[in-house]
Amino acid sequence: MKEIVCMSGVELLMDYLEGLLTPDVRTAIEAHVTGCRRCEAFIASYVETPRIVRDATRIEMPADLESSLLAALRAARGAES
Amino acid sequence: MVGGAAESSDEALAVRAAAGEDSAFEALVLRFHHRVFRLACRLTSETDAPDVVQETFWQVYRHISSFRGDARFSTWLYRIATNAGLMHRRACARRPAESLNQFLPRFNAAGRLEDTPDALRIACRVDELLDRDELAKKAKAAVDGLPVLYREAFVLRDLEELSTADVAQVLGVDPATVRQRVHRARLMVRAHLSEFAGGRP
Repeated sequence: MKEIVCMSGVELLMDYLEGLLTPDVRTAIEAHVTGCRRCEAFIASYVETPRIVRDATRIEMPADLESSLLAALRAARGAES
Repeated sequence: MVGGAAESSDEALAVRAAAGEDSAFEALVLRFHHRVFRLACRLTSETDAPDVVQETFWQVYRHISSFRGDARFSTWLYRIATNAGLMHRRACARRPAESLNQFLPRFNAAGRLEDTPDALRIACRVDELLDRDELAKKAKAAVDGLPVLYREAFVLRDLEELSTADVAQVLGVDPATVRQRVHRARLMVRAHLSEFAGGRP
């Protein structure tokens, strides 16, 4: 197997995080990252990205939407039948 | 409260709704409207979300008899909602999607990351550096800037937190395709966050 460098590690990162790689590739990635502060930092930001965006884009449904939604759907059903 | 609906599975309610039981349909609406609203906000905008939610449940009502009991109702619903969001965006003005290359981290000839660890990590600090409203606006803009195929996959997998297998079902593609799209979306969004935090994209 080819040696893992930062670039090949980044390509495999999603599959690594989903546990899809064979044990030897997994071990090779971990061996690289252990000694590479750049990869360690990159992975931290890659892993945090979904959480940051998830928290920042969480919008709760306005309370009055439920009744208007049900009313609109009832009216549409009534119009169709 | 609809009698007996609270304990019923989604699929059991869908079967009853397909048989014409309006209270079962409304129980499904009440069970899922918050999730569909959240998804719609992320795929379109807060302004457009109410229309997308209504369109989604109207499509559910009209096509509930085609729902197959062997699939999960939520997967089927997410597919309808994702399509409704997509149709809505198509109807609105589109901006050109950005290309992936400019968002990839930089490597030297030997394949080593070029930026320093601090520069690579700066995306993590965006939520302490920007105030809430500013971050909400910019995070949304980063999601909106994704090519549509990446955006759907990223929103469903990383923001709505469906499993990769479920996203594959919703989008009708194989899991490897979902992983590839989500990975690219993460690289692009991560680069935007770096930029917002004052670093290089």
